[in-house]
Parts: sequence; C-alpha cells; structure tokens
Amino acid sequence: MLKLLLSVLFSLVAYLPSYSCFADDDAATLLKKMDELFRSKSSISMMKMQIITPNWQRTLEMKSWTVGMDDTFIRVLSPRKDRGVATLKKDTEMWNFFPKINKVIKVPPSMMMGSWMGSDFTNDDLVREVSLVEEYQVSKSTEGENYRLTLIPKKDTVTVWGKIEFIVNQKTLLPLEQSYYNEKGAKVRTMVFSNIKNFSGKKMPAIMTMIPLNKAGHKTVIEYVEAEFDIDLGDNVFTLRNLQTRF
Amino acid sequence: MLIVKLAFRNILRNRRRSLLTLLSMGGGFFLLCLTLSMTEGSYSNIINIFTQDHTGHVQIHKENYLERPSLYKTINHADEIISQLEQQPLVLGVAPRIYSPSLAYGKNKTFPAQVVGIDPEREAKTTHLENKVNEGQYLTRQLANKTNKDAYFPAMIGFSLAKNLQLTIGDELVLISQGIDGSIANDIFNVVAIVGDAGSYERMNVYISLTAMRTFLSIAGDSSKVHELALILSSQSQARKFAASTQSALKNESLSVDPWQVVESSFYKSMQADKKGSYISMGIIIFIVSIGVLNTILMGTMERTREFGVLKAIGTRPLAVFTLIMLESFVLAIISCLIGLVLALPVCFWLASVGISMPEPIDMGGIIFDTMLGEVSWFVVLLPSVVVISSTLIVSFIPALRAAKISPLKALQAV
Repeated sequence: MLKLLLSVLFSLVAYLPSYSCFADDDAATLLKKMDELFRSKSSISMMKMQIITPNWQRTLEMKSWTVGMDDTFIRVLSPRKDRGVATLKKDTEMWNFFPKINKVIKVPPSMMMGSWMGSDFTNDDLVREVSLVEEYQVSKSTEGENYRLTLIPKKDTVTVWGKIEFIVNQKTLLPLEQSYYNEKGAKVRTMVFSNIKNFSGKKMPAIMTMIPLNKAGHKTVIEYVEAEFDIDLGDNVFTLRNLQTRF
Repeated sequence: MLIVKLAFRNILRNRRRSLLTLLSMGGGFFLLCLTLSMTEGSYSNIINIFTQDHTGHVQIHKENYLERPSLYKTINHADEIISQLEQQPLVLGVAPRIYSPSLAYGKNKTFPAQVVGIDPEREAKTTHLENKVNEGQYLTRQLANKTNKDAYFPAMIGFSLAKNLQLTIGDELVLISQGIDGSIANDIFNVVAIVGDAGSYERMNVYISLTAMRTFLSIAGDSSKVHELALILSSQSQARKFAASTQSALKNESLSVDPWQVVESSFYKSMQADKKGSYISMGIIIFIVSIGVLNTILMGTMERTREFGVLKAIGTRPLAVFTLIMLESFVLAIISCLIGLVLALPVCFWLASVGISMPEPIDMGGIIFDTMLGEVSWFVVLLPSVVVISSTLIVSFIPALRAAKISPLKALQAV
C-alpha cells in the first residue's frame, strides 16, 4: 500500500515538471500561431479602420504589407485628405510619411505609446507586439471550450504591460479575446476578435475591436477586407524610398 | 441759526488765519488728488495696454476651457454670438480665435508653437496685433485666402519662432498637429509677416486665418466653431459688469463669460498686490495732510481761548461752543476742497491727456509702457474730499471738546 502510494507520489513528482514543460511548449506554439495569424510569412491585406470617440468618428481604408514579424508597411488610401500617409516599420524602427508636407518623420521611442493615426492602437502595437513569443513567458489553462493563455513579460523585456491574456477557442484555435493588464494588475484594454472568414484559404477573424477601458466611449474597429498570404513581396517594399513614393 | 452766523463771522474776522488754514488744507487736497490721479491713471493705462495686447476686456469660452484647454471645447454658433455682441454700443471689437498647439518645422529644426486661427480684420479692431508686425505684411482678407488652389495659406509667425527656425518672409513653414477628427493635421504655410519681439506674448505663436485653421484641423465643414471670443469694450472698468450681464443674456450655461480679471488672474493678482502697496504710501500722505489740518485747527482754537472764555462767561452753553468750532472747521474744509479742486483739476486733465513721458520706456512682459498718464474720475475727486473733510472733523473734535469744557475763569486768565 505504502509502496503504491509512494509510486503514485513519485510519478506525480516526476510528472509535474514534464507536464508544465509540455504545457509551456504547447502554449508557446499556440501563441506563435496567434502571432502569425494575421501575418504568416508575408501578407498583403486591405483593411478598414473605424475609429470611434465621443467627439468624432472616422473610417480609414488602408493597405498593408508585412514580412515575418519585423517589417510592416501601411499606406492610407482614404479619406482623401489622408491619402498617401504611410507608415514603415523595419525591425524596431518606425517612420511616418506625410505627402502633403513631403516629410518623413521618425517615430521616437518616447512616442511609442502614442496613438497611431488617432486610433486606440499605439505605435508600439504595430512595432513590438509581434514578438510575443520571444518577449513573454506563456502558460496555458483550459476554460470550458476555450484555452486561456497568460503572458507574463520575461525579466529583460521592456514593456508597459504587466500581463497579457488570450482567450483561444479549442476547436478552431482562433483567438476570441485579448486583454492587456497594467503593472498593477488592472485590465486596461481589450481586443475582441469576431467574424471568422476565409481569406485565400486561411481562416481568421475578420474583425478586431480594440476597446480601451480607461477611456469611455473610445473604440477602434479593424476589418480585414481582403488578405493574401505567403506571396513574394520583393525587396522594394520596406524601404524609405517606397515610403516617400507618391502614388 | 445764530451759531451759523457766528461761525461765518469768526472765519471772516481773522482773514489771514483762515486763509492760511485754507491753503494748508487745500494743499493737502491738491497733493492727494494728484497722487490718486497718477496711480489710478497709471494702473488703468497698464490695464489698457495689457488687455489690448491680446487678452481683450472680456473673453468667452466653453466652460472649463481656461483651466483645461481642449480642442473639443468649442463655442458653437459663434457667428450668432458675434453679431449679437457687435450690436451693443459698449463693444468695440470681437475677435474669434481657434487654438492648436503644434509642432513647427523650419529649415532643419523643429519647435513647439501655438497656432492661432484669427479673423484678421476683427483681430485688428480688438487687439494691437496689426501694430506688432515688424516685418512683412499683416494678414488681410485678400492675403488670408488662397489665390489659387495650390498656393499655401499665409501665416504670421512670432519673432523668436522665426529666429529659432531660421525663417524669413517668403519661406515655407510646416506645421503638424492633431486634427479634430483624430487625424494628423499637417500642412505647409507661407510666412508673410514676423510679429512681436523676443519678449512679447506672440514670440512663439503662429497666426493664420480662421479659414486656414479650419482646413488645417479638418473642421472646414463647420464654420461657426471657435475656442475663444475676445471682446474689447469702450472702457476696461466695465469688464466685470459686462461679463456678468452677457453671461445671463447668452442663456447658455455651457459657455463662460469672464472679465480680464479672471482670464489673466495672475496678472490681476500681482497688480492688486502692487496697488495695496501704493495704498500704504497713499495712507502716509493722508496722515501727513491730517497732521497739517490738526496743526492749523489746534493753533486756531488755542489762540482763541480768551474768546471762548468770554463766550462761556456770557452764558453760552458748552454744546453751542462745540458746535460752533466744528461748524467753522467744516466750512473751512469745504472751501479748501473747492480751492484744491480748482487747482488740481486742470493739472489732472493735463496729466490725463498729455501725461509725463518717461525718458526710458519700461518693458512689462513685452508691453511697452512709455507715458505716465493721469486719470480724472469721481474716485480721484471724491476720495480726497472725504479724507480732508473727515480728517478735519476728527481733528477738530479735541480742540472743540476742550473749548466746550473749559471754565470761563481759567480761559480769561490764559494769555
């Protein structure tokens, strides 16, 4: 009896680290999937961004090019007065281009938490957010039909978030919700994913709604209109020269 | 009645003594009147120069705008309010303004700048902005609007900003700010004028027309929204009253109408503190004048001790003697005020119209102050009168009481 108990205990002890290790790996894989969901190896997509605040609301149409996790290029197509405004993100650097004044303005590190084009997305969201797997310690738990991924920043990660949580559907392995917590543990903003659609053979949520919880009445909705993945983009997209191209 | 008759007879009997008393008291009045005129005049002069610099006498904002300015705290239907205000005879000018803190790009440098959208003609009627153009040309209506579609809007920039950005007339100025719809407002402007100097309020400002400002901030569709209305009245002393009456006349609780005392409260408070300091020196002058009055009245009654003894001896009541002396002093005080007024008024009027020009102009926060002006008002005339008459009465009280109480025997024995 004692032997049996001991063996159970032993096996439990032996199992525990392996379990957690396995879970972490699994969680990391899942997180990587989240990371790559909207980007793949490369992507070209058409998006609509609707920004709603108590004072105003507007809709931007834009086209975005991405390669891997590091390079992003976004060009605003409408409204007319903002047409041609472009953002280039290469590695950890970021530039904005304004065709009206023909100026490229580098986004300084101090502006990273500033709003991108007046939306509830920060510049940091465009630049940093992509490397979740590398920068965060992830653990997974099961909640009904969903997984809950809890991301705690690694020791040397520079971030403003104390914790990030993903709710991922077990069946589809697609995200439902992503919540951001500050260092005090309070929930600061939530991104809700909805309207799962097929984009050139890939299933992903077409609508992302960012709701900042500290600003009442503010909301930003991004809708993917078209998306293509894993296309060869060539070398000319992610350059300052392309940024300044008038089209 | 007998006492009044007696009082006048006493005054006229010893003409030399009465004249000396009158001169001493009238001199006091004259001195006080001039000092008051100069201090009041200088303060109103400073207030006028200060308020006409950029503040105006009364300002209208959305409530809380002064404490926490925001792009979205706008006055809606400003056009109606402006035409309503311009009909009032007291209002000399109404200047609508839109503010937007921006980043200004010159040749190679960037500096933060306060961009102000103005109505050039109304602004010229309200403040001295037009006189501050020291290079180039003031925004006019023809100049303010684009001649053709591709031309840039003209802008007037502050002296220090122009120097920092190394811009001169004809150069391009790039401004970046936040549009009212959250977009990034960005545009190129053509520098047509440089305003102010290194010390003035406008040194880091950019002035563009309201039309240009609305296009810049993407509020082109709504031509009646502004952040601020600055009003100039025919007299700054009306500011508080006018603000209160306008506030109730507007019937709009979300707007707040404030006199310059509220808008520029720090300036007003420091000026009040300064004024209190000058009231102390005024108090000293009043004290000196009172001492002079005391001296003359006291000497006058001492001299007449025997006279009062006789009065008492023939049966005059103490109260009658007291009243007699008080009445004499009162009559003398009134006459001396009149004499003082006759002497002081021409000088005051001269000070109010011409003033004393200072050899070296004083620069107060960019506002040049080169003439000391006097002021003629009821306050300037009435306060010295009240001071002279009341100090005379207070001062006469003691000699009058002494004369009333003195025993006839002692009085007649006195030399």
